[in-house]
Amino acid sequence: MKRFIEPNELARDSRFIRQDNNQATTLALLPDDVDKVVEMLEAFGPTIEQQVKGTAAEPLFDAYGPAFGLITLNQPLRPDDDAADTRLKLRMHGIFVGEIQALEGAGRSLWDFPDAPWEFKMNMARQCWDEARHVQTYEKLLEHVGGTVGMFPESTFLFDCACSDDPAMRVAGVNRSLEGLACDVFRDMIKWGEKTGDEVMRQAVDYVLADELTHVRFGSDWVKEFTKDDPERYKKAQEFRRQTDKQFSFGGARSAREDAAIPIAWEDRKDAGFTEEELQDLSDLGSEGPSRETMMEAARIMVERHRERRAKAAKEAAAGAGK
Amino acid sequence: MYPGLGRDETTTFEPYSAFDIPADLRELHGRYDVEATARRVRNFRYAEEWMMMAMGGWLATVPEMPVKTGLGKIIWEGAKAADEFGKRLPELRCGRKAVNESVASNEGFAGFIQDVTEPERPDLTIEKLAGVFDVLKPHLVEAYQKHMRETDAITDAPTVEILDEVVRKTERHIAWGREVLDRLCDTDAKRERRRKRVSELTATLRACGGVTGDIGDRDPGLH
Repeated sequence: MKRFIEPNELARDSRFIRQDNNQATTLALLPDDVDKVVEMLEAFGPTIEQQVKGTAAEPLFDAYGPAFGLITLNQPLRPDDDAADTRLKLRMHGIFVGEIQALEGAGRSLWDFPDAPWEFKMNMARQCWDEARHVQTYEKLLEHVGGTVGMFPESTFLFDCACSDDPAMRVAGVNRSLEGLACDVFRDMIKWGEKTGDEVMRQAVDYVLADELTHVRFGSDWVKEFTKDDPERYKKAQEFRRQTDKQFSFGGARSAREDAAIPIAWEDRKDAGFTEEELQDLSDLGSEGPSRETMMEAARIMVERHRERRAKAAKEAAAGAGK
Repeated sequence: MYPGLGRDETTTFEPYSAFDIPADLRELHGRYDVEATARRVRNFRYAEEWMMMAMGGWLATVPEMPVKTGLGKIIWEGAKAADEFGKRLPELRCGRKAVNESVASNEGFAGFIQDVTEPERPDLTIEKLAGVFDVLKPHLVEAYQKHMRETDAITDAPTVEILDEVVRKTERHIAWGREVLDRLCDTDAKRERRRKRVSELTATLRACGGVTGDIGDRDPGLH
């Protein structure tokens, strides 16, 4: 078996539909300019339409067009929202596939770095068991909210961003960025459980969050260990983590703002070994790129255009049928 | 003052041993001395370490979801087994740094492990699992039980305790793996793939003398 694999080699059964990673990557690079955001995301329209065909996201595409991702990403998940049910399923499905990729990332760290210290291997082996339980947990939570495996397309963007060939950067990417993002999202889901009185969700995610803090701690400890006596390598690992975090901020959807779609779990992250300085940096990263106002205005324009296109197509189809 | 130290304080109890009731029928002297046991523990650790690393690598390339999640726990228990073997080594006069020592019994066994870890493609789950759950793990259970039977049960009891626990868990792994394989091999062609894989790996294992290098053709126990 070779060392190091590409994200497109992650194996799935026939229920899963693969999504193009470029959309997610592009979100991190967008400027704070409505026209440019519209232009760049409109370009993905046909690809997005093709990928959501036959999935539970198809009705969202029908309603909002290629902007549906912007809307679901940039609005906080609230029980009284119109599309709360579909968005909840979309989020649970996103977490479920994220856990699969975290499991695969931890497993690959065992195989890709055979000369790593034994304690590192023990930590990664433990993480394999934890992530396997998380996959099982989220599969059940997905069913709990009425969803099914494969109902939405899967992007392998998390694995792609986080899995470096250098062990220091791998743990910075997988254990600090990916698992850190999990802490943010899970804290938000615990709040959702509290708000909606969903005790099954609240308790299960609370346990998973406890595991994730341990995994972030593994990352914090191993970045230090792998880079000790090598300040250049430490700098590189930190920069890699920063770049990955920028991509995981989805153009500001995850930030320290009150109304962020995914608020930063500040206290949980501190528990897991993030310094105040790192957290401030993470918060600033979420503020880079397009503002929420820019994204929402871009989404409004795109929804309008999408509806115009649909109306025109319907008119042409009706005219064709009348001939 | 402790009883028995002064003339007037000598206890009147008869000498006894806790093991007299029931009688301790175990006999001293086993087949392996300290050095031999240390060598074998290093060999066991090598097998457990590489097996769990390979399963870690496969998590990404097996498409079956229950296999991905089922392997997670087996990887962790394999790592714990290797860890326990490692902790035993300093107790066997190998020095404190020996906790991380994994040594193949010979080049043949290292090659056998390479063969077990070779399958990579997502359509090779049968070959991946058959190597571990039909061949390597059952062989390790046999080797561990052989050590437990043949070593000095009193003086080498700490090794026996570790092996006893590892065997218990490994038997559970084998039961899981074989159930999965039985389900996966639902056609004659697939059953033949499994049989062929088992046959090839067993031959390699037999030729190298197994995990400790001394089991195999000379030992009818390796089937």
